[in-house]
Parts: sequence; structure tokens; C-alpha cells
Amino acid sequence: MSEGVMAVVKPEMKSYIWLQTADGSIQQVEEEVAMFCPMICREVINTGMGSSKNYAISLPQRVNPAILGLILDYCRFHQVPGRSNKERKTYDEKFIRMDTKKLCELTSAADSLQLKPLVDLTSRALARIIEGKTPEEIRETFHLPDDLTEEEKLEPLRNITDDPRIRLLNRLYARKRKELKEREKLKNIEVEEERVDERSVEDLLTFINGGDGESKGARSNKSKKKNRRRKDQIKNSSNDINGNHNKELDDLSFHDGSVNNMASPSKTSKLQDSTAVSYSPKLDFDDVDIDDDLDPAMKEELDREVEDFARRLNSDWPERMQEILSLGQERRLVPVSNGNGSQRYNSLDRR
Amino acid sequence: MGDALVQDLISDLPESIIESILTRLPIRDAVRTSILSSKWRYKWASITQLVFDDRCVTLRSDRALVEKSLIDFITKALFLHKGPIHKFQLSTWYLQNCSDIDQWLLFLSRNDIKELVLVLEEEEGEGELFRVPASLFHCKKLTRLDLFRCELDPPLTFKGFSYLNSLTLHQVLVAPDVIESLISGCPLLENLAISYFDSLALNIKAPNLKFLFLEGEFKDIKLENTPLLVAMSVDMYMTEDNAEHFEQSSSCNFVKFLGGVPLLEKLIGRVYFTKYLSIGYDLGKLLVTYEHLKVIELNQVCFEDRKEIYVVLRLIMSSPNLTELQISGPTNAVDFVIALEASDLKFWEKEGLSKYSFEKLKLVRMTCMSGVPHEMEFIKFLLSRSPVLETMSVAPCSLCTIARRLNMLTELVKFRRASPQAEIVFTHE
Repeated sequence: MSEGVMAVVKPEMKSYIWLQTADGSIQQVEEEVAMFCPMICREVINTGMGSSKNYAISLPQRVNPAILGLILDYCRFHQVPGRSNKERKTYDEKFIRMDTKKLCELTSAADSLQLKPLVDLTSRALARIIEGKTPEEIRETFHLPDDLTEEEKLEPLRNITDDPRIRLLNRLYARKRKELKEREKLKNIEVEEERVDERSVEDLLTFINGGDGESKGARSNKSKKKNRRRKDQIKNSSNDINGNHNKELDDLSFHDGSVNNMASPSKTSKLQDSTAVSYSPKLDFDDVDIDDDLDPAMKEELDREVEDFARRLNSDWPERMQEILSLGQERRLVPVSNGNGSQRYNSLDRR
Repeated sequence: MGDALVQDLISDLPESIIESILTRLPIRDAVRTSILSSKWRYKWASITQLVFDDRCVTLRSDRALVEKSLIDFITKALFLHKGPIHKFQLSTWYLQNCSDIDQWLLFLSRNDIKELVLVLEEEEGEGELFRVPASLFHCKKLTRLDLFRCELDPPLTFKGFSYLNSLTLHQVLVAPDVIESLISGCPLLENLAISYFDSLALNIKAPNLKFLFLEGEFKDIKLENTPLLVAMSVDMYMTEDNAEHFEQSSSCNFVKFLGGVPLLEKLIGRVYFTKYLSIGYDLGKLLVTYEHLKVIELNQVCFEDRKEIYVVLRLIMSSPNLTELQISGPTNAVDFVIALEASDLKFWEKEGLSKYSFEKLKLVRMTCMSGVPHEMEFIKFLLSRSPVLETMSVAPCSLCTIARRLNMLTELVKFRRASPQAEIVFTHE
């Protein structure tokens, strides 16, 4: 019988490694084939497992018997040293032809067995599948859920945040900002020349470079001689707390990177080129002060409020949004139920 | 969408695999994956390799528009990216002296950049070179730097890149002493490629250098400290003035170049390389044996110049393990002057040559042969002294007449072969 012949052909010297897949089934594999997988190799060397059925090496969960079969075929071919590069490439091209589902499972399994050449091969194949396809086609191929809103899909490159709530806030800020700008324009017409930026390029660069990574905190007062006259102009800032306060918020960029759509008011726009401008407390340059049109006492207070706001923004999202949304349009000051004491934030959506 | 039971196949693969897949996609496709599903929103933003080229944007006839959209794309991508960026590659025909590149480099210098490739091509090859900003020299972790058409001017405090493994400079405007100190300031340098230079005089001190590629008009090259060099490929263009300058030099170029590379395995010398080596050549005793040199390729060897012949002989006779030899004659040898003194040919019968044996030589390819006596003697010499030779391939240069080829063939057939399995292949084009 052929079976008998086969039994004779198998020499006694050939050694096998026993492998057990997550589903419990055990199989034996020729030693040189199994040892081609770094993970199995390590197990055998470190723990001595795999020498018999009872001591089979447990393979990671991602390796099921069918996939194991494929992997072993791969190993069996490649572990033979004499093959030419061309032979190997041809084999790989043929090997990789399988349906997408299996390909993904194979990638995952190869990764868990740390078989890098196979991971590279499968990654390349997956990349080839993705390349050039439309998003719908890709979703179809990989069964991805189409769970982004139309808005989110619209300008993916510009929207750093996936949070629609922040986007809403931005819109509110933008509105406020606009109204503030109108007001400022009226006041500052005489001081137009002074607003010309006399800073040298170095200072600008220092500001841009030095402005990163500074911690948020209370800004200290920086009353600038240059801008003192402007401060006088905006005398009624004390009465218009909300207005200026919002302006200050505008200059913030929350450091957790969640908001970046804040366009800055005109005088600092030059500085906000490619860096996300962080909230910079007192810095060592003398020329720039973002909020130099408020007087010091006001600033302190606003600093604190801003800090509060930032903290809250990061912590209790649902309640905040509820509030802001429920306040709706045309709302006046409403005390915040949060206990932080500040009552000014709700004026955000005043218009 | 689809069966609720159908599982998402790919989104939950380990991050390393996702990165592996995304980096194999053109950057535009990778960024596009952000609209696939909520899980895929920012997967692309954490890949560590960013490769930009002109395919990132739709090409239009309006150059300024393409430039702008490319700048926009790259700036936005960098801005949205989070995490370390290990590789940044930019190859473009549209950005020449662009200040945005400065800002990108500044950004990269803060993001642990390890591999930086800047290829700024220009149609005429004439435009202004990009002046590399100082922030490049703050990229402490750089392991690979490829610059193409740039101007390098490091600050005085710059000492070198301690981790730089591979350096490629092509058409880079930089002072020679700066290159030298750059090379010696990178102790881990293993790959060095310098091309398209004019009149460069270079002293290379790179204790870990393994691969050297030089192409251009070099005035003077000295490999002062490159003990680990494994392979070198040199395309040496020499103008007439350079050549004259050399004739006066007393030091031997052969020694300067090949004196300190005992581990060399492969040597490729093109254009005027052999001529360069022959300058200042002395027939002194062999200094170095190239135990590991297996493959030699020399182009444009002029067999009418005795000194060049000596260089070739010395080289191959100092390489006991030579297996493959490729020699090509000069491509512009228009006049085949066969009027060489008879005594010259006697040189081939000298003691030292007739006793030598190329024990490992298996393949010899002679191309662009013009049939001059010394060429034929050389082939005869190789055939008679290579006991394991398998193939000797001879190809006449295209200017050879039929009569001449016939002549060559007739002589070839006469030559004695030391190796029983040697085949002479005369490529008749």
C-alpha cells in the first residue's frame, strides 16, 4: 500500500514540533518549517515546549487552523535556503492571491507570530487593494461602517477635531469675534499707525518659537507704553467685560489640541502662521502683548475665568453643551450651576 | 450599510500593521482614509513616514497654482499630524527656493526626524539652490540625509550628526572643508554618496564607512581613514586642466585612493578613474593585498597608456580572490595607432607576470575593445593564467571595422587557455 510506502519514506530522524491553536486542535509540523517563525522558535528555545503532543506550543488567539495551514505553507517554501530571489518573489505573488477577509486574518496571524517577511508581504497586498479606490469601494471591500457625518466627511484635511461640539463652539466664537472687530474698528481708527508692527523679524521668530509649549496660567500684566494710548481708547472695556473676555478666549488655543479653527484677531494673525499659537503667559519679549488693550486688573480676572473655562471645557462636556445649547439665542447672563463662581461664560451665545 | 453581522475586517488590526499599510500607500490615499469611518479618522495622522511628491496634487499647466496647492497640502498634513515623524521625503519639480520648506524643516526638527530626503528638481538644472536653514542642523537624531540641489552652510557651532548613517549630496553647493568636517563629524557614517561637484578636493575620514559613491569632477581625493570600506563606485570626470595639475603631483594617487581599504569587496571605476589612479604611479612593491576584492569593473581603460596598464595589473594581482573582472576600453578611441615599440610588448613576458595565477577568476568581460596589441596581450595573459575561468567575453567597440574584428577573432582563437572549461564569447554586434 502506498501508506506503507509513505511510512517507510519518513525517516525516524525527522523531528516535529507540536502546535496548538486557540480552538484546541493540535497538529505536528516539521521542525525546520515551524522554526522559521520567530515566535515558535523562541518558545522552543526558551521553554523547551513543543516536543510532544502533551506539551504543544499554544499559538496566539489570532491564529486559527486554516490560517496556520497557509502560514506553514509559506514557511515551508521559504525556509529552503537554495531558492533564488526570483523564485521567492514568484511564489509570494501567487501566495498572496486570496480574498480580502483571509488576507486580513493572515496579516493579523503573521503579526502575532512575528513573521516579519509575511507581514510585509500582506501589508503590501492590502495597500495595493486600498490604493486608487474610492472611499465607498474601500468600505465595501473591508466592511467598514459608514459612520461619519456628512459634515465630517466634507473637509477632512481641515478639521483637526472629530468633536462636533467644539465645532459649534467655534462658530459661536467666530460670531462674537466678528462683532468685536466691528467695535474695535470704530475705536481704533486714530491709532492705526501705532498698530503697524514694528517688530523685527527676529522678534517675530522668537515669539513663534518661544511661544510654543508655554503653560497656560495666569498671565501677568504687561502694560506696554506703546499701547497705553490704545488702552485709553478702549476705556469702556470694564463695562464690556463680555466682549473683551471673548476676545481673550479667541486668542487661546486650548493646549490639548482640540481646537484649532480659531482665527485670531487681526493684529496677531501675522504671528499665527504655521504654529498653533498657545496661550502664552508673560514672555521675555518686550513688544508683543496679545491683550494689551485691557487694563491689568481686568486681565487678572479674565485670566482666571479663562482658566476655569478651559478646565470645564475639558471635563464636563455634556452638561456644558446642554447649557449652552439650551440657552439659545438672545440670552442674557445666567449663573453657571457649576459652582466655579464665574458668571460670564454664558454670554457666549448672546447673539 | 451591509449586513450587521459582517465584521469590520481591518480597522482592528494592530497599529503597527496599519502603519505598515498606510506607509505603503501614496500619501494622498493615506490621508483619504480619514473619511472611511470614525475609527479611521486619525489613523493616518500618526504614521511616522511622510513621503511627498508631485503626485500629491493635481498637476495643471499653471505652475504657480500647483506650487501653491502642493505647499498647502504639505503644510496641512504636517499640521494635522501628531506624534513623531521619522521619515520625511519631498521630491518635486515645482518648489525651488520656497520659504515654506524652512518652516517644515523647523517643525520636523522638533519631531525626532530621522530620515530626511529633499529632492528639489529643476527643469533646466540651473535655478537657484535651496538654502538649507539652520534648523536642519538641530535635527540631532538624523540617520539619513539626502539633499538634491541645495546650499549647505552649517553654523559654526555645528559639529556633526552623531547618528548619521547615510549621507547623499547631489549638486549641493557647499565649501569643501565643510564637507570634510561634516563627514568626519559623523562617526557612524556608513554610506556616502557625493555627486555633481565641480573641482572638489576631498579628504575622507570616516572610520565606519562601508559604501562610497563618487561622481563628478574631483580635483583630488584621498581616502585617509576608511578602513572598513566594502564597496566603492567612482565616476571621475577630469578636465584637461586637472590632468595637468596632477602630472606635477608627487604623491601616488593609487595609494591615496586604494591604499587604506583592505576590506574592499567591490570596486567600480568609471570614466577617468584608471587614468586618475595612474597619475603619480610608481612601480613600487605591493602595499596592500585586497583579500576580499571579488568584483572589479573598470571603464575607459586606455591600453595604450602603459601607466594605466600597470594600474590594472597591480590591482588585479593584489586581489587573490578576484572572481569577476570587467574592463572596457575608451569610447572615443578613434585612431587606432598600432605603432607601438616592439619592446613594449616584451613587458608581458616578464617574470612576475608569467608566474602569477588568478586562482579564483571565473568571469572576464572585455567591452569596447579596439584590438590594439596591448589589449590582446592582456586578454592572452588572463587566459593563460586563469585555471578556473569559465567565460571570457570580448566585444569590439562599434567603430571597429569588419576587417579589424576578424583580426581580433583570429588572434583570440590562437590564445592558450589554462582553464579547460573556458569559453570565449565574441560578441559581434
